[in-house]
Amino acid sequence: MTEATFPQCRIDSERLMNPETTEKLLNKIVSVAGVRRMVLNGQRLPATVPYGPARGQANPHPMRKTIHVGDQEIPLQVHVGTVLLEIENKDVIPALKAAIEPVFTDFSFRIKEGKFMKTEPSLVDYCKYGPNADKAMLGLADPSSKSKPIILQGIR
Amino acid sequence: MAYKPQYCAGSSVVAANRRKQMDPAHKLTKLRDVTDKDIVLIMGHRAPGSAYKSAHPPLAEQQEPACPIRKMVTPTDGAKAGDRVRYIQFADSMYNAPCQPYLRSYLEAYRFRGIDPGTLSGRQIIECRERDLEKYAKDLVNTELFDPALCGVRGATVHGHSLRLDENGMMFDMLQRCVLDKKAGVVKYVKNQIGEPLDSEVKVGKPMDNKWLKANTTIYHSLVGSAYRDDAEAVEYIQRIHGLRVKYGFMPKE
Repeated sequence: MTEATFPQCRIDSERLMNPETTEKLLNKIVSVAGVRRMVLNGQRLPATVPYGPARGQANPHPMRKTIHVGDQEIPLQVHVGTVLLEIENKDVIPALKAAIEPVFTDFSFRIKEGKFMKTEPSLVDYCKYGPNADKAMLGLADPSSKSKPIILQGIR
Repeated sequence: MAYKPQYCAGSSVVAANRRKQMDPAHKLTKLRDVTDKDIVLIMGHRAPGSAYKSAHPPLAEQQEPACPIRKMVTPTDGAKAGDRVRYIQFADSMYNAPCQPYLRSYLEAYRFRGIDPGTLSGRQIIECRERDLEKYAKDLVNTELFDPALCGVRGATVHGHSLRLDENGMMFDMLQRCVLDKKAGVVKYVKNQIGEPLDSEVKVGKPMDNKWLKANTTIYHSLVGSAYRDDAEAVEYIQRIHGLRVKYGFMPKE
């Protein structure tokens, strides 16, 4: 199989997004053909207080909700501020921009092309996944994380 | 000629606000009315109405050694009563929050007595005797030094200073101690400063509007406020300090 390098882009919003806005945004992204992988970046919202005098107590947070994207439920673990995308080719970016523009009515956003996700295994990836790492998993999660990716069926 | 403190260099609004906040002769404008009970609830050191716990007997009851300094310095109420030392900590957003960690330590040193401020990049803690603390905390929350959306009372898990605001205009808080009641437009504390849920919500008032924040902020921000580089006097001052420090490193002999 030919080794292909896919272009990547990043969507930054001026404000950290509420779960409702994230849901709207992701549904718009899913509607565009040609998105291969996606990472939601932001500040972590743990279910329990991780440290300090209240350690271990429940941490109810209005920004930690389960959202419905495509045909899947996604439990948000972060307060989303940035979305990283790997796309099939550069032509997808204008389509993506046109699709998500209506979501950002109250604040601005930026879409930037570059390299934001790992495409080659690092040392920790090697320790975790071994020599035959699945490249689809690289850069999606911290190697020590037990979470698995959510597969969204797009329009194809 | 009597010495007149100048507090802070700069020709911008930000510098003027810094000088204003630091100057003890300037009376801070009161903007909200958070009660003593509410302050105690937010800090979470004792139940409202309960007695102050003490670390030592009241000064009047204990034999003090003969010391000229003790004769010169009048103890604060908390020290007199032998209160425990307790704290309040603030995190301030860099998106035009009215007060900032470094400045907080300056202004507290100018305005309050018997305090131990600790400054970090995005948060500032002040420690003092409990009953003094409650008095000072009231000033810190009720006056122009505080904005319900952009300043947070956070004992632990303080991250938020340098992050983008959320859609509601609130500074990020992993423990979400305060939430914006969209209907009433008021910010309510639902947890105390270390993140334990409160039995009753504590209202701390409406977030200030952008115009007020921009006119009263004490932080330079090139995107949402006034840029540091536009303040010629502040730049000149910092360059002078920088130059002198570098030269002093070579121990010049005059």
